[in-house]
Amino acid sequence: MKASRDIATAQTLSAPTSSARRMAEQLGDYLKRLEEAKELRRRSADWAYIESRPEPLRTALKLLVETGDLWYSSKLSGVPLDELNEERKRARIPLVVA
Amino acid sequence: MMSLAVADTCFLINWLSFRRWEGIFRLFYRILLPSIMLPELRSRRVRGKIEELVYRGSLVILPRADYVDREALRIFNLVNSTPGLPRIDEPEAYGLAYAALHGLPLLTDNASPKVAARSLSSLRGVVVYDSLDLLTLLYRGSELRAAVEEFMSDTSIIFSRERLREAGVEL
Repeated sequence: MKASRDIATAQTLSAPTSSARRMAEQLGDYLKRLEEAKELRRRSADWAYIESRPEPLRTALKLLVETGDLWYSSKLSGVPLDELNEERKRARIPLVVA
Repeated sequence: MMSLAVADTCFLINWLSFRRWEGIFRLFYRILLPSIMLPELRSRRVRGKIEELVYRGSLVILPRADYVDREALRIFNLVNSTPGLPRIDEPEAYGLAYAALHGLPLLTDNASPKVAARSLSSLRGVVVYDSLDLLTLLYRGSELRAAVEEFMSDTSIIFSRERLREAGVEL
């Protein structure tokens, strides 16, 4: 019941009420910021360093550049989270708080 | 001082590498870390710091609980099936569920919990703080600016221009 109400709320983000419109605008703005963050990670990353790393670290770092999600990249690649976080700093991949 | 806050692992490991990391305990008496997040930490340095914080009572490892798991699964399904919302991970969903059920703030630098809390009616009212939020609660003026610069340098976490502008920080 609660879940369906939530989904209904989420699905009406683009409905023409002022609060829904404002929320849709906020979400759109946020998603734009996340896209800019991805561009920043791509630009800042030391690609030579990333390419020099052994697998599965190399793939984990590339995943991190694309997603910005440390946990997800760690889980999919099997590289421990804290180890990947240290490697991310060496590879100059910023985590961007948008 | 707020009493308790739930933290996610990524937030905690980065915050602990900030030179002014102890400042967080001026805001929160105790940080709660869900045990679901612990196996992700392998490095001796990070584990050593976590153990030290547990020993001095500043950090508590939350046991896994069924009622939180149920809420976490609901949030996980809801967020991940709602078009437009950034994907949420299992540990984040668990942390968000615990925070929502107990009326506590969640500390995370990931976008998903913050966007979900703003967008979904059943999560409205849940407070989600990221690192910049905490820095602005801790510092003012030139000290805030210095703390932001140090934080970004120590952690390789960057705050977006918009967030810095909203926080009134000019670098």
